Amino acid sequence: MIQLHNVFMSYQRDATALNGVTLHIPKGDFVFLTGASGAGKSTLLRLLYGALKPTRGQVVVDGQNISRLPPGQIPYLRRGIGVVFQDFKLLPNRTVLENVAITLEVLGWGKKDIGKKVFHILRQMGLEHKINATPLRLSGGEQQRVALARALVNDPRILLADEPTGNLDEENKAQILNFFKEANIRGTTVVVATHDRRLLENGHRRVVVLDKGAIAEDGDVQK
Amino acid sequence: MSRNKPAKRARLANEGVPGRLKYFTARAVANIRQNVFVNVVTVGTITLALLILSLFLLVFVNLEGLADNWSKRVQVTAYFDQEPSPQELGTIRAGIQSLPGTAQVVYVSKEEAVTRFRARLKGQESLLEGVSADILPASFEISLKRESRDSEAVEAYVARLKRIPGVAEMQYGEEWVRRFNTFMNFMRLVGALLGGFLLLAVVFIVSNTIKLTIYSRKEELELLGLVGATRMFIKAPFLIEGVIQGAAGSLLALVILCACYFGFLHNAGNFLSFNPADTGLSFLPAGYLAGIFFGGMLLGFLGSMTSLKRFISI
Repeated sequence: MIQLHNVFMSYQRDATALNGVTLHIPKGDFVFLTGASGAGKSTLLRLLYGALKPTRGQVVVDGQNISRLPPGQIPYLRRGIGVVFQDFKLLPNRTVLENVAITLEVLGWGKKDIGKKVFHILRQMGLEHKINATPLRLSGGEQQRVALARALVNDPRILLADEPTGNLDEENKAQILNFFKEANIRGTTVVVATHDRRLLENGHRRVVVLDKGAIAEDGDVQK
Repeated sequence: MSRNKPAKRARLANEGVPGRLKYFTARAVANIRQNVFVNVVTVGTITLALLILSLFLLVFVNLEGLADNWSKRVQVTAYFDQEPSPQELGTIRAGIQSLPGTAQVVYVSKEEAVTRFRARLKGQESLLEGVSADILPASFEISLKRESRDSEAVEAYVARLKRIPGVAEMQYGEEWVRRFNTFMNFMRLVGALLGGFLLLAVVFIVSNTIKLTIYSRKEELELLGLVGATRMFIKAPFLIEGVIQGAAGSLLALVILCACYFGFLHNAGNFLSFNPADTGLSFLPAGYLAGIFFGGMLLGFLGSMTSLKRFISI
């Protein structure tokens, strides 16, 4: 599903964010990317959804080579990838319903179908009573669940999450992790970038450790 | 739990050009409702900018009208040595009327010339005692068409007129025509320069205001790109929004212009016409009004388009 071959990424000449990363993530896998701040976790995720192109090497996602993908094709690649951002990226002047509906509007769904599907996923997330609220009226955990609902509403083949539990309490962390697991059980390939050790200890998962832009460790962690 | 598969392709209500257009327009209207303040600021800026431009056009159009009025005084008078017979008169009149540039030909007989002269000397009629009608020559007073009123065209016209047999002498106030034309060319140049700068300022102010409103929503643009929206999908509602803003701004400017004109400008005196018979300023012709309206829409559209380029990275 995801393949990186000897990937280098530099923002400027001297600052190398990724240094010869080779990684294979099969379909249906659940991977934690971890490492210290600046290790290259976010850069790697950004490469996967086409926000960046590698300086050198090949990045293949869902059969598409990102390095050679024309800009006009990137939106179609992204339609199969759900992304949960560290800062949520919710639109403050739109309701919860409208925030989640964006993903389906882009796909051209009709209003009625969008309503049904969004309500369904918000109920799964326990947010059906907040459907008409704006994000600013929600707690951090609720905002994160709205962001997750937006990423999952179109049943993506891949789910990427960048520090999804950064500012959440333990209860909310566990809840968010459960949603990731459920999505993974449904067949979604999940990649979570985090430096939260507790999240990593929460079950048998593959953990890829990045250090200064290179893979320092790649293996299963069992608690 | 259902197996994961690519997003089920539900019935797409927004497919096809009409469906897409309907969706984009609805999205643009929703955007305006969700961002009332920035939209009010943008429409207000467009209104003010176009109102200033409209007022300038109003003054310019009236000055042009005034100049046109003045230029009617550009007249060629062809004098005869001897009063022509009615037959000769008809031939000469037909010759003059066939000349390109002739608007109107009026025959002034010797008697009529003396009558006019007497009228001008009102109160000093004694000066004309014993003077017969023979003293003044008969003439044709020729008004010229608008395009033949500048000094070169008048000279060319006079040259052609000289070739008509029977005409002895011509007068057309060469110096006045030359000065008038120089003055008018100067006025037009100043008008074009002022208008050009004003237009540039309007385009600059409006496009920057739109740029600021789009900047305030750059997160929305970014997010749309991240969830897989195409360039067209992101841009279309913003472009429609720009057109709506432009239309609203120009319409408001025209309403205020109408209110100003019919409120006090139409009877603001005769300071431009210098003619007590005139009723004051005339309003902008329909073509100009339509131009301002559609220009406003175009301004909104182009302002949005150039601003969007900066904020859409895909």
